[in-house]
Amino acid sequence: MNKVIQAARGIFLWVDDRLHLTKLYESTAGHHVPQSSGSWFYVFGSATLLCFMVQVATGIMLAMVYVPSAAEAYASLEYLTFHQYLGWFLRAVHYWGSNFMVGIMLLHMTQVFLFGAYKYPREITWITGVFLMVLTLGLAFTGQVMRFDEDAYWGLGIGVAILGRVPFLGEQLVNLMLGGPIIASDTLSRFFALHVFVLPGGVLAIVSLHLRMVLTKGINEYPRPGQLVQRETYDKEYAAILKKEGVPFFPKAISKDLVAASIVLFGILACASFFGPKGPLGPPNPVQIDTLPRPDFFFLWIFAVAALMPDWMESVALLGGPVIIGLFLLALPFFNGTGEKSWRRRPIAVLTVLLTYVALGLLTYLGHTSPWSPEMEAWKSDPTPKEFLAGRSPLELQGSLVIQSMQCRNCHAIDGIGGQRGPDLAAVGARLTKDQLIRQVIQGGGNMPAYGKNLSPDQVEAVVTYMVSLRPPGVTPARDSTLPGRPPLE
Amino acid sequence: MIRTTLLLATLFALAACDGMPGRPKPASRWKSPSEITDFATLYRQNCLGCHGMDQEVSGSLPMDAKTYLAVLPREVLFDVIAGGIPSTAMPGFSTKSGGTLTEAQIKILADGILAKKPSAPDATLPPYAAEPGDPARGATAFAAACASCHGEGGTGGKAGSVVHPAYLDLVSSQYLRTIVIAGRPDLGCPDFANRIPGRRMTNEEISDVVAWLTSNRKNEFGQPLVPVKSSLP
Repeated sequence: MNKVIQAARGIFLWVDDRLHLTKLYESTAGHHVPQSSGSWFYVFGSATLLCFMVQVATGIMLAMVYVPSAAEAYASLEYLTFHQYLGWFLRAVHYWGSNFMVGIMLLHMTQVFLFGAYKYPREITWITGVFLMVLTLGLAFTGQVMRFDEDAYWGLGIGVAILGRVPFLGEQLVNLMLGGPIIASDTLSRFFALHVFVLPGGVLAIVSLHLRMVLTKGINEYPRPGQLVQRETYDKEYAAILKKEGVPFFPKAISKDLVAASIVLFGILACASFFGPKGPLGPPNPVQIDTLPRPDFFFLWIFAVAALMPDWMESVALLGGPVIIGLFLLALPFFNGTGEKSWRRRPIAVLTVLLTYVALGLLTYLGHTSPWSPEMEAWKSDPTPKEFLAGRSPLELQGSLVIQSMQCRNCHAIDGIGGQRGPDLAAVGARLTKDQLIRQVIQGGGNMPAYGKNLSPDQVEAVVTYMVSLRPPGVTPARDSTLPGRPPLE
Repeated sequence: MIRTTLLLATLFALAACDGMPGRPKPASRWKSPSEITDFATLYRQNCLGCHGMDQEVSGSLPMDAKTYLAVLPREVLFDVIAGGIPSTAMPGFSTKSGGTLTEAQIKILADGILAKKPSAPDATLPPYAAEPGDPARGATAFAAACASCHGEGGTGGKAGSVVHPAYLDLVSSQYLRTIVIAGRPDLGCPDFANRIPGRRMTNEEISDVVAWLTSNRKNEFGQPLVPVKSSLP
């Protein structure tokens, strides 16, 4: 028995001598970190990395079935979703893994920002993190293209339309991206190469640097209010902290990371099991116009920004915005590299985070509901609620039919049913007089097109008479305010 | 023992995995609009906006009015869905008319609507279409059959005017005839058999009332009149 142990020891020592495994262990898992960093707030980085590993594992399996060709991708997605045993689950885990990765990465970044971890001497840790964020969003976008359905097609169209606005280089960039001027057979291959080789390769390379920086410059100690970072003294202070209360990363500090990892893994699997994969929706066919394309949730806010911006702002904001945000993030550790770390004494940092979250949240909600999009089927599928029809005269009923057949309902809801782009018509008779309604219908205005050329005088008469009747019970029609005392115009 | 239990539990979990609620159902597979062959879906997507369902009040004729279905010829229904009725709110839904429905889908719609037709229709029903009658006699018939709700001369009353020039310009003569025959059950307007206490309206009275209604067209809004067709809507 002893001989066996002796031999094994000999082999291990030989391997260790060649590969320096013990040293590697000491400098990584065994390296000391401040005890205070073993906090629940410090688990998001490793959780993001875990998501990435889930993506790599499921991505490899998906790539065994998925056909990255414009002609066959959709069929292979359908095969995965409906025929391959547990293929749907694989797609679901990859989809939810990406959602979790983007979300947890955002939490990681927020925590690092609020805890001042980007300050001296961890500038490069932060900068590599910014690049990782860009790569992660790139993976998310190209991943959305891999699900080669109508959302992918139109999302890609919008993406390259933005790219095409780059001054001087726009056309070349679009050609580079799409493999031609339009989305065609080369496009998907390019995005496949980006999604599967280029971007994950970049993530691996930069994550290595990111983790290397974590090892060389240490994990940020849990900041205490009033403890200021100074370039001259910080390194000594950090060394003192490590000496006084340093613990080996493994097994002390990693325990919470492991618990968090299992929670995240469980979350991904649970979401995948209960909510399943997304799509594929309709095929990526530009002739198929019966479609309501939406980006995945992490880009809904951009969708909302692009839809709500005034025209003149678009190029400036869509091209300048990312550059400004990127430069701000990259420059942050240099213009704000010292001083207070604790969020308790950094009100501007806290406000920045709150404002960003509120803005992103609201824009995401708006992107999800997209009230600016007409509901193209409302005119023929959304009936007028009965209380807005009962008791109406034959002419008024014809007016309600004109509202349907001329597709007014696509933009104007009645009592909340129908498009949300224009005002709800449920009480329009109490707001506008008959004359005002005629003028609005014929001349348009306030974002509404003029319908004077599309409606006959009979139709206008019917539609306006009907709209005057749209009032809450007991409310008189709107009166002409320039004619006081006159009875309302019926 | 524990190992065996764990192994069994894992196998069970894996087998159950494929039956989790997240698994996409074959029915949720994307279908092109022309692949939809289910009457309820087609009706909800294309007709419900104006024609209602299940006795709800609707803007235009409800597609479950018994007398209407009893007199409506199938080919008329098919042609109207496919080609629409010019100068009215009814658009054509066939791809030929600029709509989105295939011929097969229009057949499904027509058959689905007529499936609610009464099984043993009254043999004495008035014909769906007929030549216009005499306007002068129509005025008398209107006073007897319709004026109680639509007022003297059709100018008002609790159910509103039926002689408003804009109204008469927006509806076809066949539409008027159809309503005189079938009423508007969703709005409380009775059919031809229940308008005059004690007796049915005769075929002549129906044609006369339609002739009188159309004689009220003034074309005062400067638009071409809806073409008056006797045999088709």
